[in-house]
Amino acid sequence: MLNYTIRRLNLLFFTLLVLSVVSFSLAFLFPGDSLTNLSGVKSPTPIQLASLQESYKVDSNYFWQYIAYLRLLLDGDWGISFTSQQPLLDDLSTTLPATVELSTYAFTLAILIGVPCGIIAGLKHHKIFDFSILSASLLGYSVPVFWLALILIQLFSLQLSLLPLSGRISLYFDVPIQSGFIIYDIFQAENIDKTAALRDVFFHLILPTLSIAIMTGTIIIRIVRRSVLNVLEQDYIKAAYGRGQTNAQVFWKHGLRNSLLPVLPLIVTQFTTLLTNAMIVEVIFSWPGIGNWLIQAIYQRDYPAIRGGMLMVSSLVIMFTISLDILIRVIDPTKGRKIRVAV
Amino acid sequence: MSRSSLYEEEFFPSPLRQTWMEFKRSHWAFAGLWILIFFVFVIIVGPFLAPYQPLEQSPDNLLLPPAWSDSGDIRYIFGTDSAGRDILSRVIYGSRLTFGISFLVVILSVSVGVIIGAYAGISKGLRSSIVNHLLDSVMAIPTLLIAIIIVGILGTGLINSIWAIALAMLPQVIHTCRDFVRQESEKAYVTAAKLDGAGSIHIFVKSIFPNMVEIIVVQSTFALSTAILDISALGFLSLAAQAPSPELGAMLSDGLDIVYISPWSIALPGLTILLAIISVNLVGDGLRTALRRRLQH
Repeated sequence: MLNYTIRRLNLLFFTLLVLSVVSFSLAFLFPGDSLTNLSGVKSPTPIQLASLQESYKVDSNYFWQYIAYLRLLLDGDWGISFTSQQPLLDDLSTTLPATVELSTYAFTLAILIGVPCGIIAGLKHHKIFDFSILSASLLGYSVPVFWLALILIQLFSLQLSLLPLSGRISLYFDVPIQSGFIIYDIFQAENIDKTAALRDVFFHLILPTLSIAIMTGTIIIRIVRRSVLNVLEQDYIKAAYGRGQTNAQVFWKHGLRNSLLPVLPLIVTQFTTLLTNAMIVEVIFSWPGIGNWLIQAIYQRDYPAIRGGMLMVSSLVIMFTISLDILIRVIDPTKGRKIRVAV
Repeated sequence: MSRSSLYEEEFFPSPLRQTWMEFKRSHWAFAGLWILIFFVFVIIVGPFLAPYQPLEQSPDNLLLPPAWSDSGDIRYIFGTDSAGRDILSRVIYGSRLTFGISFLVVILSVSVGVIIGAYAGISKGLRSSIVNHLLDSVMAIPTLLIAIIIVGILGTGLINSIWAIALAMLPQVIHTCRDFVRQESEKAYVTAAKLDGAGSIHIFVKSIFPNMVEIIVVQSTFALSTAILDISALGFLSLAAQAPSPELGAMLSDGLDIVYISPWSIALPGLTILLAIISVNLVGDGLRTALRRRLQH
């Protein structure tokens, strides 16, 4: 176990190193001056220029420049954005929580729908319910997320006028950004009607959450269903029936845990796909998250922002996956290697 | 006499034929195959089918609804968009563009991926273990995210996004090939070839690769559905094809401004994407089930 953890952490370290090298070399590959791309200061005064050259060690060779860059990264000085002229890390720390918040709700919803439906479909194998869930899930994981979001907007916002079109909260609630997590910020805010604000946030959340959760939910249904079917064929299930246990007893005592445990890693790896979908849906719903921010940066050729955003998102995904690997190993030590199955 | 004719009547299907027979048993998969064939047909003869040019504007017929609605016009079966362009023609050209590019991307990334995957599967030692582990961690990043990042680096545009998606799908293909090659390398028939003195390239080409073709086909169908989704998503975000182009994703983002007055201008391109992905997924599912059944027998 210790050996495994060390190997994973080692891998994490090297991957992050590779990512930082890539992001460093981006500054040279992008058009324009590399120092401008690294620092984000477009037209520095002579004094600024001197101090930037000093901190990025422009005079030395690439290796020492990289070391200087790495040190600045670790110090939290990621440079500033071309467009907003704000430090990148500040921008990231306000946009990232919005995305994480949205994805977390959507993922929770996907699991709440996906796991029970998958289990029922597996238990009622080749019956009407199974077929209808299977067809619905085929539809669900084939539908392009951005199109689904548009259809939902068309239906619920434009035709029925039930739900708000975009944003996280109506503008008449003045919620100062503290953590970036809107619900926490509402509790911290003063002089607003908290219940009304929470209601408002909830209504804003429904459409984006649904449009992301449907795809992941249907994938989870398929994963769980297959696993339940596999487990029900096992000998110990037959043995349990042989001992005279009822359907319910067999399922709760032997079926459930054995079918959910092996698919846990598969389900949780779906989170990264969901995160990407969230980044696209953010653009549609003008959600102030990292996807929206990164794509705006790409439109405006804001090179420091692209570099910082890419580094942040990919490091987060890698860290998430590797810590997950370790966690799964703790929960399920029998697993020699992580099995990945396409859905 | 009767004995020999009995033998003749006995039917020994080849593995490929067995897979095909298993595949045909699933009606859903078969329906998916027909839809896919239809799309391929449209891709090939599209320009002859389309009544208008995709960029041809007709200022007298702006925002016509589809022909089946009361105020529709039969000359424009799917209606027209805000610039008076025929949506049917645009959808036909769009399918051509979107799916043609997806096929291209899949062929590109599968052919490169198989070679690298085979190399990673055959080679041993520290270098291959570093490559493999890095690959595993890159695998965890969704293809669309990698594609967005690569487009961010290369700059927006259709050609750049083709490279981006092909590159982004590479890790998945390499991973599958590598695992398959490793798994097969331990089997007896490979050992037999090795004992005959075959080199590792010879073993791969003559022994392992013929067994790998089916896996590659299944993997390609899933890669195809991912590619369609990714290319249209990038088009929708205006990172790949830009606005006047009839790419399906770009058409969706084009129709975004007028969604309130003409919902069909986003409904129809989206439905086309949906139908294409469903058909590809049905075929992929059917192929995989057929393979699994054949290997079980």
